[in-house]
Amino acid sequence: MPVQSLEAELGRFVGSVAEPPRVARYAVNEAMIRNWVEAHDDHNPVYVDREAARATGRPDVVCPPAMVSTWVMAGYRRHREVQRLRAEGAVEDFAYSRLMNMLDEAGYTSVVATNVEQEYLRELHPGDHVTARFTIEAISPFKRTALGEGCFVTLLKEYLNSDGDLLVKERFRLLRFAPDSREEAV
Amino acid sequence: MNLDDCAVGTALPTLDLPLNRTTIVAAAIASQDFEDVHHDPGKAQRRGTPDIFLSINSTNGFVDRYVTDWSGPNSRITRVSLRLGVPAFPGDTLRFSGEVTGTGTETVTLRVTGGNERGVHVTADVTVARTEGDRA
Repeated sequence: MPVQSLEAELGRFVGSVAEPPRVARYAVNEAMIRNWVEAHDDHNPVYVDREAARATGRPDVVCPPAMVSTWVMAGYRRHREVQRLRAEGAVEDFAYSRLMNMLDEAGYTSVVATNVEQEYLRELHPGDHVTARFTIEAISPFKRTALGEGCFVTLLKEYLNSDGDLLVKERFRLLRFAPDSREEAV
Repeated sequence: MNLDDCAVGTALPTLDLPLNRTTIVAAAIASQDFEDVHHDPGKAQRRGTPDIFLSINSTNGFVDRYVTDWSGPNSRITRVSLRLGVPAFPGDTLRFSGEVTGTGTETVTLRVTGGNERGVHVTADVTVARTEGDRA
């Protein structure tokens, strides 16, 4: 498919709900938080020590801000299923799967995240149950980049608690590129 | 504390963060990110990168740590805008530096950069607020 036709096809996805709401597999919890802070060697006590958190005016320990997306990750079982479906060329019945399949078919199979913006409206505490709504906000024209030819996809992600309160608003931008196009891109 | 003492131009202490393969994998798995480019060198190479690399969420987590190491537990990050440059690979040492770019009654804004020997890995604008406990 010529690039202009592909761009026109991709343009139809802009503004679409990317996928069904992502409901966390489990509530915000101290074990997952501790694994995160140990991986990052972060010694801020408000993540792991309830008394230290209370001394700062918080009701309980808090989740590190950058950890918010962890709660709605799909998990390894679902990851394997997505990889299997992708290998089979199967498309699931939501916009993001159709978009990714279209890019795969055109050879834009590699992905790298380039930007993230997060506005933290509320801190997350153990027991909070997170749901995220993903919207495809923008798709750039195809460009030559240092990694190869590709396009940037911007997702708007809104994280809510079980009362429907907005916790975090995020914009996440990734580059989908053709890994074998780097030489021609010079 | 630092949030009350700082002014535009105040520099944060630098942090040298050595990254090995295990740290990159541990941070990816702690965030439930199973993308092969963050743990499988062979697959990473087939996707056009020389080795596994630090995930954007892990970089974001290290920016959190760098900022609150300075601003302390009585602070809260309210906003981040982060842009990635060159990837961070096993064997790299990421050097974080930061500077105050704005001060208000409730918040301080910072520009944080993290780089390796190949260039700038991350540039982040971060807003930090005092917590309720700090005002009490």
